[in-house]
Amino acid sequence: MIEIRDLKKVYNGVTVVDVPSLSISAGESVGLVGNNGAGKTTLFRIILDLIRKDSGEVISKGYNVSETDNWKDYTGSYLDEGFLIDYLTPEEYFYYIGSLYQVSRSDVDLKLDMYREFFNDEILSKKKYIRDLSKGNQSKVGVIACLLQQPEIILLDEPFANIDPSTQIRLKNILKQIERGSNCTTIVSSHDLNHVTDVCQRILLMEKGKIIKDIRTDSNTLTELESYFSVQQVESFKSIDRS
Amino acid sequence: MTLSFFQHQWKAFWRSKNTGKSVAVRVVMAFLTLYLFLNIVFVAFFLDRILDELFPSETVISAFNGILLYYFLMDILTRFQLQELPTLSVRPYLTLPVTRRQIVNYLSVCSLWTPFNIAPLLLTLPFLLKQVLPFHGAAIFFGYLVSIIALTLFNHFFSLWFKRKVNINSWFLLGFVVIVVLLALLDFHWEVISFSDISRSIFNGIYTMPLLCVVPSILATVIFLVNYNFLKNNLYLDELRSDHSGEKSSTDIAFLNKFGIAGQLAALELKLIMRNKRPGSSLKICGLMMFYGLLIYTNPAYGTGYGWKIFVGMFMTGIFIINYGQFMFSWQSSHFDGIMAQKVKAEDFLRSKFILFYCFSAVAYILTIPYVYFGWEVLLIHSVMFLWNIGINTLIVLYFATRNYKRIDLSKGSSFNWEGVGASQWILSIPLIFLPYVIFLPFSLFGLQMWGILLIALSSVALLITRNYWLDLLVQEFNEKRYTIAEGFRNE
Repeated sequence: MIEIRDLKKVYNGVTVVDVPSLSISAGESVGLVGNNGAGKTTLFRIILDLIRKDSGEVISKGYNVSETDNWKDYTGSYLDEGFLIDYLTPEEYFYYIGSLYQVSRSDVDLKLDMYREFFNDEILSKKKYIRDLSKGNQSKVGVIACLLQQPEIILLDEPFANIDPSTQIRLKNILKQIERGSNCTTIVSSHDLNHVTDVCQRILLMEKGKIIKDIRTDSNTLTELESYFSVQQVESFKSIDRS
Repeated sequence: MTLSFFQHQWKAFWRSKNTGKSVAVRVVMAFLTLYLFLNIVFVAFFLDRILDELFPSETVISAFNGILLYYFLMDILTRFQLQELPTLSVRPYLTLPVTRRQIVNYLSVCSLWTPFNIAPLLLTLPFLLKQVLPFHGAAIFFGYLVSIIALTLFNHFFSLWFKRKVNINSWFLLGFVVIVVLLALLDFHWEVISFSDISRSIFNGIYTMPLLCVVPSILATVIFLVNYNFLKNNLYLDELRSDHSGEKSSTDIAFLNKFGIAGQLAALELKLIMRNKRPGSSLKICGLMMFYGLLIYTNPAYGTGYGWKIFVGMFMTGIFIINYGQFMFSWQSSHFDGIMAQKVKAEDFLRSKFILFYCFSAVAYILTIPYVYFGWEVLLIHSVMFLWNIGINTLIVLYFATRNYKRIDLSKGSSFNWEGVGASQWILSIPLIFLPYVIFLPFSLFGLQMWGILLIALSSVALLITRNYWLDLLVQEFNEKRYTIAEGFRNE
């Protein structure tokens, strides 16, 4: 579904993304983990053709993302508030996104009704613009907006951040449902190792722009990841001690 | 403490991401301000002679007394429009061990540094030194000086307080302008009241009894304290925020839905204009510009030639394209990533701009039809320039938009707001202003004005007909530049 070859992005002499090859097949759910600055968001942006890469290519379902717009037809994404049009009401925003994908208003309404529990009565008919919603509620709007069409690829950058625990669990259920019910490929980044190992079949661990681990999730994955992140911790403590 | 606030402001300025450009802009601004001040000083220096010419029957002092109040009324009016509330982003300090008093003090002191407070002194001090001090003595001189400073401060703090208090929006301002016009009519036209007399009696009082200058001083102190207390009691995050949001409703602009995705996008941008402060105020400026013709057409100095009419016609029918279009794409900087990642074709995106420009130009054109009162040529030229605007200026503006990488915060007002201004806007103004004359002037020099107009019309129509070709070029240009644009918009 997504093929990445020789991908490289350099900012001011620092390589922020360096992925020689990565292949994600249809229906896979991939979790992207890594500390701040590991290059997760940059990788997302390159996959969505929002920033120019220095070399390599991203092929989505056979289309080179920087050459055509076709991939937009089946890709739903929410990276940050920069995806929301903040002077619209949530309804207006959903209808607008729906219209881009030829989803009629009544179908949008039906879809939204499915996620009523997820919204927890804080989004719809609140008579507020998106900019007046809290960060967590904004993120709910963004996540649901990319599910309105029938996407074949979903990219979410830290969807679990900012939202309350109940919503986190609901979001996990939604993602699992997508995984089970359709052939949709999902890539989700998160700092919450519990959630990400729970939801995703495959975990990519990034460090300094490189994918250093590519593991199938099993019962040991969480421990493995935890030990990776805590080892780093111990090392940094040591370096503090030394200095 | 105040010192470290200053330091922080200083650093905030120099370390801001677009400092490079903003220094250049500030240098230009500084020169303009300096030039303005030089003019003021020049006027001030010859104020006694000017007054003598204007009011030959009165003594210079009496004439001076007569106009002072007008000045301060004008002053407060311009302050309402242009003076910005001092901005220290107080949020990080509120929870630190900094007293409210210190923050408020800083905000008050900092706000004093504005041209509005320097201008009155520049304007009157030379006159006072030249006419009052040598002939009427030091007491009267100081009486005037203190009252003028006090009135300046009064205006200053009053406008700050008032602006914060009622959270002035543009409609309010419009009401205010109407009142002022009414008062002016009452004074000059119907001669029911005379501010001149009021002004004279006030300042004659100070002239005869300089100690009376304590009265304006007290007024200034009172309003300072009012402002001070207001700030101090309202230094909460949610109350300092500028817009108090009421209920918001969803709306639908059915007319634009006919144009497919491009129409949807245009409707979206219409909402952007209506629901955000800066584009909103820029639209109101467009509204005011509809009166521009009155200034020019009623003034015989501009002659009967077509030269000025071309300019006025282009400006009035195309004001939206010029004024709003110069910041094209920046308006959407906060959600540009979203537009790029969603299923929006570059072609539709640009087409939506055409729709928007055509609609607003058409409205402006219709609004300016009454200028036919000044002759049928006026209507003809307006029509031709309307075609020029939608045919050519639209393309020019959109071409430059692909070279504009500056983020704009929609929630700030537009007066004295230089955010988003860069080289691209300055360069853009050159073809906008001169291109029609490149066509018109050669004909006009040979006395064939009508042929010039005709050629302007023909070239506009030619570009309108071949629009899709130009649109393709724009799409290519846009696709080439979109990474840079998106990158620029991400930098806050």
